[in-house]
Amino acid sequence: MTTAAKQIMPFEPVLLANIHKPDSHTLRVYEAGGGYQGLRKVLKEKTPTEFIEVVKSSNLRGRGGAGFPTGLKWSFLPKDHPGPVYMCINADESEPGTFNNRILMELDPHQVIEGIILSCYATKAVTAYLYIRVEYPTCYQRLQQAIDECYAANLLGKNIAGSDFSLDIFLHRGAAAYICGEETGLIESLEGKRAWPRIKPPFPAVEGVFRKPTVVNNIETAACVTQIAARGVEWFKSIGVPSDPNNPRDPGSYGPKLYCLSGHVNKPGCYEAPLGITCRQLIDEYGGGIWKGRKAKAAIPGGISMGLFTEAEFDTPLDFAGPGKVGCLGLGTAAVVVLDETVSMVDFLHNSCRFFAHESCGQCTPCREGTHWSLSMLERIKAGKGRLKDLDLLLEIGDTIGIIPGTTICGLSDGAAWPIKNAIRKFRPEFEEYIKRTNPTGYMVTEAVNALPVVALH
Amino acid sequence: MGVLTEEMIAAIKDFFPRYPTRQAVTLPALHIVNERLRYVPLEAVVEIAQLLELAPAQVQDTLSFYGYFKQDKPHGETRAWVCRSIACALRDGEQVLDHMCHVAGIHPGETTKDDKLTIEFAECLGACEYAPCMLAGDVLHKNLTNESAEAFVKQTCTGHGGNGQAGAKH
Amino acid sequence: MPKVIVDGIEVELAAGERINGIQAAQRAGVEIPHYCWHAGLTVVASCRMCLVETGSRNPDTGDVTMVPKLVPACQTPATPNTVFITNSEKVSNARAMVEEDLLIDHPIDCPICDKAGECNLQDYHFKYGQDQRRADIRPFTSRKREMGDTVTLFVDRCVMCTRCVRFTREISGTSELFVINRGSHEEIDVFPGYPLENRMSGNVVDLCPVGALGDKDFLYKQRVWFMRKHDGVCTGCSTGCSISVEENQDTVYRLKPRENPHINQWWMCDEGRYGYHHVHSDRRLTDVQRRDGVNWTLLEWSQVVREIDERFRNVGRVAVVLSPHLTVEEAYLLGKYAREVDPQAQVVLGPVPVEGTDETFKNGFTIRAEKAPNRRGVEEVVTHFMGQVATLDNLLISLANSEPTAVWVSGGYKSNWIDAAAADQIASAAACLVVHDTFDSPLTEKATYRLPEGTFAEREGSYVNFNERLQSVPWAIRPPAGVRVAGSVYLELLGEVGLYKARRVLVEVAERIVYFAAAAEPVGPLGVDLKTPVLEATPTA
Repeated sequence: MTTAAKQIMPFEPVLLANIHKPDSHTLRVYEAGGGYQGLRKVLKEKTPTEFIEVVKSSNLRGRGGAGFPTGLKWSFLPKDHPGPVYMCINADESEPGTFNNRILMELDPHQVIEGIILSCYATKAVTAYLYIRVEYPTCYQRLQQAIDECYAANLLGKNIAGSDFSLDIFLHRGAAAYICGEETGLIESLEGKRAWPRIKPPFPAVEGVFRKPTVVNNIETAACVTQIAARGVEWFKSIGVPSDPNNPRDPGSYGPKLYCLSGHVNKPGCYEAPLGITCRQLIDEYGGGIWKGRKAKAAIPGGISMGLFTEAEFDTPLDFAGPGKVGCLGLGTAAVVVLDETVSMVDFLHNSCRFFAHESCGQCTPCREGTHWSLSMLERIKAGKGRLKDLDLLLEIGDTIGIIPGTTICGLSDGAAWPIKNAIRKFRPEFEEYIKRTNPTGYMVTEAVNALPVVALH
Repeated sequence: MGVLTEEMIAAIKDFFPRYPTRQAVTLPALHIVNERLRYVPLEAVVEIAQLLELAPAQVQDTLSFYGYFKQDKPHGETRAWVCRSIACALRDGEQVLDHMCHVAGIHPGETTKDDKLTIEFAECLGACEYAPCMLAGDVLHKNLTNESAEAFVKQTCTGHGGNGQAGAKH
Repeated sequence: MPKVIVDGIEVELAAGERINGIQAAQRAGVEIPHYCWHAGLTVVASCRMCLVETGSRNPDTGDVTMVPKLVPACQTPATPNTVFITNSEKVSNARAMVEEDLLIDHPIDCPICDKAGECNLQDYHFKYGQDQRRADIRPFTSRKREMGDTVTLFVDRCVMCTRCVRFTREISGTSELFVINRGSHEEIDVFPGYPLENRMSGNVVDLCPVGALGDKDFLYKQRVWFMRKHDGVCTGCSTGCSISVEENQDTVYRLKPRENPHINQWWMCDEGRYGYHHVHSDRRLTDVQRRDGVNWTLLEWSQVVREIDERFRNVGRVAVVLSPHLTVEEAYLLGKYAREVDPQAQVVLGPVPVEGTDETFKNGFTIRAEKAPNRRGVEEVVTHFMGQVATLDNLLISLANSEPTAVWVSGGYKSNWIDAAAADQIASAAACLVVHDTFDSPLTEKATYRLPEGTFAEREGSYVNFNERLQSVPWAIRPPAGVRVAGSVYLELLGEVGLYKARRVLVEVAERIVYFAAAAEPVGPLGVDLKTPVLEATPTA
């Protein structure tokens, strides 16, 4: 049983410490606040391998959605590979509800860049590609500006800060596809092809971009690396939820986390707190409570892929282990989107199915057809031609597509499945009521029915 | 000379040293052309393919995967992406989109007759704290209402104010 | 011996052998259904039809530990002690799911679709699919889209296995085909102005597991269940691809490549694939004729062979021209006959058509400029009789300086192979000229006896390709009335009775000519490498 989060208010922001300063995105302001000291220290005092051990011992888990231990991922790189090794930074943030990467890149790009340089030093990458979604033009400008400042200040390019380490960072813009946030989808897109995720093995650490060893890390993860270098492992581990002593495989949920809060709350925004605060705490103590004096009905715990909490489940800790205990996929991007009591779950699920059908890359059969079929059914249900049997079919799709059962190549379909499973299983009476009410003559039909005429959905 | 100008070709070639393969310059090349022409016609695809030593089919394969690049004709001077994902939908984003389209007299994906404005729907723009929101060029419009959306359409289509430039030049 | 276990059946692996789950299961006699995997293309594991359960068996204890999630068999290597389970409920549910998914948007075009009868989607549906349609139904038929001169795409039948795209990128290296759009809107297309026009284009139709890609040459011509298949060799060039000749009631409807790792892997070129129409041309010779002055007299096969034999013996000097389209056995028999009549008889190689230069594709497949299937084999037969390779040019020179000679010219060429000048030269030097060929030519105009010859589809026997590989194939169709294939004619010339059986002749050839020694043992469907050293046979009594 994980221990409850420590007192969260007040939590002195670390990742968001700079964002309210004027010109926070400039090198001048960043260094005035102590920026790049961590990097300089590590370059002088630690070998790359030693720094990998530092990050490993911090139990930092990736902030992009999967929560894989970062130091461990770095250690998968082959030891004696002639190289080159590549770092890909995943700034394709597209998970509905998520915007913390945007804030970091717009308002504190140097914190991110310092983390990238540190990560590349550790993994001996000589080139880093920062894959940034095309919908973030301000981030792109700010990052490019920051990178230019770094080159001018000998913090990028050859012999960084007088060390032996040299690094180039290049920005690479995407073109509005969610699947480019999947690590091998990103790699394929970077290589100039359609972003169809690769089968694994081989894993990117062995054969990644341009068939060379590659590490893909998230923006917030890079910022955490910066803070670990600056403040130390002990500081990092003093925050969050320790590993379960009864489970040797549990890496815990350490460190600060940027929680995104949006939807039907009074104060949507990005809030930094130790990992492990509960959904209710986030909504009440940071978010100003539910808007318009209403009650909450449900909340997405970590980006729409993770599924739904019912209001009764709002006391679940938002750490890597919590949401799974109430049938959600996981913490994901820790982006909480709140639904008040007036929201129709049919509308919610329709929105979710439409998103995943639009974003499915189309490579593998269960996801390509399953997301499309789910959307067809939700369209039909919304239009008043639903059947109770559709709910069973939707659950069957939800239970069978994904990398967890092994039926698909990547996790997009797990993300498509979880909202279906949670919405219908946790709110079934509402779905049944809607179907019966809107289709009183047809809701018990079990034979296949005609699809609605194909409307231009995309 | 084809569709690609000398300047575009030079800009594309600037990207060559960054990657070990030419194919990796596909997206940068598409963006370069798209920023200047507001679309990527088939002729441009052929010329890009030649520069990158690929078959036109390979470039078109990549291009058509993303819904981002128009190919039949240029999009409007301002391209407005209105988010329809969950956080914006919860705050009436879809109604605002409908209203905007109604005022502009077009469907999502279309351009107004004066070529000033294209309205598109977008999936999560990553600005959920300002839902519902819209990205027009480089400018993020926050907390949209029917009124603010309507004002935006009117400003854009009558040429008053340059609230949204069609893509920045990087 | 390293083993893998498939549904409890042990399969042995050769040391260092690298196969996947699908191939291991094949050896155990178990079918793992699949669409996107193909042994000649990269593995994408995207169709998800080959999902199986996998695990490993502890070699010491025999305990089996299974992995909880399904894996595609195509991307799972069959390493020693790997366990595959294909017959569990989990696996059948997964297969039923994929089948149902594919059928959601697949037009049920079977009654009008060429692929019916050899369609994976149909077959797998019957074996592994559900019997109830549950998904929203949208009846429609498939749109058609032209890919090029040889291939049509029925867009909506496509299951997105991407084999065709991978073929044009990895095998032909021409990259004409690609995928457009994303998700369930994906389709196959060609770039406007860049159609599918490489010379291996027909292979994509073989690869397509459903009726999406259609071969224009074959479209709507014949239902596959009416056709019989016969092993064959393509006679288009000296590559000698292994093929399958598919016919119904003695009409050839199509040629398809046959898998042969030694020659063509899984492929054949378009020239070969579509190069069978001459078999049913109405210009084929079908009458046996003898020229008497300016008139042509119709004869019967039952008389003419004996008549020619008598005349040849009367003339005394004999020369035979062996076409590179003849089989090894036929070439040998004609040479043997010539030497029986005239121990000094000239046995020469006929003209070898050469067009352009060799074209090699990205994966190494080569279409050769030498447009005949058996130059190597015929050359060796000629060498056996003459001590060295002798050609028609050599013959023309010697004919010019010798007494009147009876000349037999074998043909079987697909098209024009000799010009009027050369024809004149032969005719004027020949006391009696026999031309046994498929079509008229300047030479048949001048012949004394004009005999109708068979085509490759009617011929049984062996060919030797550019790489000294000998393949033996049966005949596929009976020749049209009036036509008699070389082998049976030569047998009659030699005074032997009975049905022509090429194998019997090949055994004799293998005994007499060292080059062919490896063919003494029965030749399997993939042929035999004649470069294989063979031990001296123990002399029989």
